[in-house]
Amino acid sequence: MNPSRFIMGLLGALVLPCGAPAQPPGAGGVSPLASRIAAAAPGDTIEVGPGTYPGRLVIDKAVRLVARPGPDRPMLDAQGYGDAVEIRAENVELRGFIIERTGSELDGENVGVRVLANGAVIQDNELRDVLFGVDCKAALRCVIRNNVIGAKDLDIARRGDAIRLWRSDGTLIEGNTIRDGRDSILWYSKGVIVRNNLAERCRYGFHLMYSNDVTIEGNTLRANSVGIYFMYSTGVTVRNNIIDRNRGPSGYGIGLKDTDAFVIENNILSGNRVGMYLDNSPVVRTNRVLIARNTIAVNDVGMQFLPSVKGNTLTGNTMLDNFEQISVLGRGDLSDNEFDLDGAGNFWGDYAGYDADHDGVGDTEYESQTLFENLMDREPKLRLLMFSPVQQAIEFVGRALPAIRPEPKFSDLYPLMRPAGATLVAPARAGGGNIWIAAAALLGVPSMIVGFAFADRLLARPAARRNCPAMGGATA
Amino acid sequence: MIAIERVTKRFGRATAVDDVSFSLAEGDSVALWGANGAGKSTIIRCVLGLLRYRGAIRVNGMDAARDGKAVRRLIGYVPQELGFYDDLSVGEAIRFFARLKGLATPRTGGVLSGVGLEGQERKRIRDLSGGMKQRLALAIALLGDPPVLILDEVTASLDACGREEFVGLLSRLADARGAAGTARTMLFASHRLEEIQSLAKRVLTLRAGRIVADEAAGEFVRGHAGGRIMRIRLEAPECAAAIDVLRESGFAARLNGVGVLVPIAESRKAEPLRILTDASIHVSDFDLMHEPGPEPHKEATP
Amino acid sequence: MIAAPLERVVRVFARPAPWWSNISAVAARELRDAVRARWFLLYTLAFAGLGLGISYISAAGSGAAGLSGYGRTTAGLINLVLLVVPLMALTAGAGSIAPDRERGMLSYLLAQSVSRWEVLLGKYLGLSLALLACICLGLGVCAGVLALTGAGTSTDARSLLWLGGLAFGLALGMLSIGMLVSVLAHKGSVATGTAVFLWLLMVFASDLGVMAGVLALRMRIETLLAVGLANPLQVFKMWSLHAIDASLDVLGSVGLYAADTYPHGLAWMFAASLAAWAVVPLVVAGLVFSRRSGV
Repeated sequence: MNPSRFIMGLLGALVLPCGAPAQPPGAGGVSPLASRIAAAAPGDTIEVGPGTYPGRLVIDKAVRLVARPGPDRPMLDAQGYGDAVEIRAENVELRGFIIERTGSELDGENVGVRVLANGAVIQDNELRDVLFGVDCKAALRCVIRNNVIGAKDLDIARRGDAIRLWRSDGTLIEGNTIRDGRDSILWYSKGVIVRNNLAERCRYGFHLMYSNDVTIEGNTLRANSVGIYFMYSTGVTVRNNIIDRNRGPSGYGIGLKDTDAFVIENNILSGNRVGMYLDNSPVVRTNRVLIARNTIAVNDVGMQFLPSVKGNTLTGNTMLDNFEQISVLGRGDLSDNEFDLDGAGNFWGDYAGYDADHDGVGDTEYESQTLFENLMDREPKLRLLMFSPVQQAIEFVGRALPAIRPEPKFSDLYPLMRPAGATLVAPARAGGGNIWIAAAALLGVPSMIVGFAFADRLLARPAARRNCPAMGGATA
Repeated sequence: MIAIERVTKRFGRATAVDDVSFSLAEGDSVALWGANGAGKSTIIRCVLGLLRYRGAIRVNGMDAARDGKAVRRLIGYVPQELGFYDDLSVGEAIRFFARLKGLATPRTGGVLSGVGLEGQERKRIRDLSGGMKQRLALAIALLGDPPVLILDEVTASLDACGREEFVGLLSRLADARGAAGTARTMLFASHRLEEIQSLAKRVLTLRAGRIVADEAAGEFVRGHAGGRIMRIRLEAPECAAAIDVLRESGFAARLNGVGVLVPIAESRKAEPLRILTDASIHVSDFDLMHEPGPEPHKEATP
Repeated sequence: MIAAPLERVVRVFARPAPWWSNISAVAARELRDAVRARWFLLYTLAFAGLGLGISYISAAGSGAAGLSGYGRTTAGLINLVLLVVPLMALTAGAGSIAPDRERGMLSYLLAQSVSRWEVLLGKYLGLSLALLACICLGLGVCAGVLALTGAGTSTDARSLLWLGGLAFGLALGMLSIGMLVSVLAHKGSVATGTAVFLWLLMVFASDLGVMAGVLALRMRIETLLAVGLANPLQVFKMWSLHAIDASLDVLGSVGLYAADTYPHGLAWMFAASLAAWAVVPLVVAGLVFSRRSGV
């Protein structure tokens, strides 16, 4: 690094914040770093030292703006007004900053980092108290990597998107941690790769609109309203993601609407309201799609299909302990979907068949035809009665009286005998001690009660025994 | 101590106690005498607050209906048969009732030796004989030394031997004075002469819910010593007609399993037979018994 | 002079008794009786056994895919509680007064220095403690097995404690109804029969009625929620899910509606419903019992 630039940078960092008059937030002041960018040549690296740099930073030159390594990171503070950073030049790099306090105007789309040019690299930043996080508009081949993106503490509808791409093909979104945002949404963006991100407590973990040839892999989507939702997108690959406990009003782990030519494999979908939701996907029936080797477990509903859905192929999935394995909303069956591929079906936790020839495939087909599920599919309000004994009673009646047994929604001719899907590493048992405490408490109560019941007997007995002969003597 | 004023008790349309008034002074011992259904037990149940009634009952000045709990605190009660959770042990039962009477846990051994149950406290109630059960009930009734003792046909379910023993125990008790130096007030229902003789100072005779006689015990026993009941065996279809004609002639005839029971005075023993013969009812057999035991009983009246 | 030693002994130990003395005496006796009784042992065994089965199956099931920590045991246990606890509490309540009356024990008890309210409340207290012991024992065995096998998580621990508490709340309501039945019925067998009938009614018939209402009458969500809140079994279920999952969305639109409409008041509504079921039938039973002529 050029030493003179370094000194200037230092001066900029130390002097300017003090020297500049306190900027009223309404004014949307210019960042003190602007002068350093103005002074730099394209391709330069500007190292920024620790300190707070208030105002809006516009980067209109292809520079690398890099935080100096150290314990304190420089803060780009928009002071609650407007945007924090706007990138107008191609191939800008913004790395290692804390970017905070954008405005809160949804109409103004106040954003942490606005990208308006191709090839930007946004990396290792922490965005906090921002309305929108990173917003790419017609910016091709950008990289958004290893950022931590937070949000404003507003009502979810008044928050902005953590990441938004608009006609930004070839973007790489990788290794980011996204918390509490509204959505991370891809509009009309082709060939995007979304990899190894963590999205928590957002509305939509990732949301694709008209975005084709997108790969989403290795992400963890947890406790969002919806995990990943695809609309009008073609050629998507979703693999190796962990999609866990997304339980908003619709609560889909993965939702597909009018989406085509997709491959969904090796994901874990657990604890969602609906593990996977399919609405008119694939769009073209002949576009065979593959849903393979996913573990879909402990969701309220494993997979939910709209009645018209056809053309899916499910193979090697593990369907385990979902309150309802497969649901078809309204009336209809899934006869136009395949539940096996080349003689390999899926593993069903509630399969009651056997495998006499030990080829790993059950000898009888798996059929889903429970009466209560059928009723719930027709009338979702009946879900109120879940876990009530009446549920089992109705299932029992359904089994006992074939006449009222509903038509099977589908059948898997080659059900697997063992789970083949992706497996979760068992979570750390941090609470192992608590269960002992619970056991002790629960067993302690009855001991105390029984003790109380017999207390006077235990106390009184020896006294009585002592007194007996004495009193006998007194009577005599 | 106990004042019963114009008490009436109806069960549906049947009147069990009909406008009865009497009172017991402190230390008094009154027997209620009468056949089954005469209203003895009903009066006792009213005093204990087990039934609602019209009229007023006062015990030691307190109203039995309003202050039932306080009234019952003054009363030791022995029922005809001790009906209680019979898997309790004797000691447990004593401790339980002692707590209900507001006594701290008594030394059960002492209480039991008082009624001759010493050493039985670990026995379950279900393993006790009838007589021992009644002794236990008595021990419970005496917990806390209540000034009033109410006994409801306490010997009815005992055999002759047990009866004698139990009455002996009670009469010793009746003679004993309470710790406060005052004698216990006793009200008891009975239809046994020997009980009345050894326990009662006064006898009220009840018939159909009314008091028909109020006599000193000695007088009563004398009046009843010669009292006889004639049991007349009849063919079953003729019983109803027999009762009708006997009642027309002033006999209190009633039905019995094999015939008709007729209480008769000393000098009129032949009369019922004559009446029946006149009514052309055939008498196959008869015998005479002491009033009012249901079975013929041969013991001599003293 | 046989009474003399008797009196001496008794007088020495006489003390003024507090107001709850009779209630606690009756309660202790009732509790002891219950603990010795066959039904208690039977229900405890059934409860613990089925609970164990559920814990074992859930643990084995989720273990297969390496999934754990979702409190899956809880769902099964909710179901178990819904079946067993009402039956247990209703029959226990039904057996509290009527059989005693039939065997003449009640009139002997009431001839003592005790009020009818005291007898009723004492029995209620004793039986509720017995039920609490039974519930805790059953769930405690589950917790113990989960702890021993290492399959339990802190979620399970919390759920089990919540379940225990809420099951007790449910039991209090059912016991109260059972005791009302017992006060009204003249024979023990009638009381027990009525209790079993009520159990069937509450466990199955009311839900079937709701199903019919939804399917045939297109009941609205608010109506459904109101019906649910009036049913102690549904309240127990909803409250358990609410407390353990912090949401009701498992129950579909009605659950979501409830959670959205009453984000804060919901737990209070549940509590109010269970409390009403525990108190109202008992008070009615007490009024009937204390004003009745005869026992």
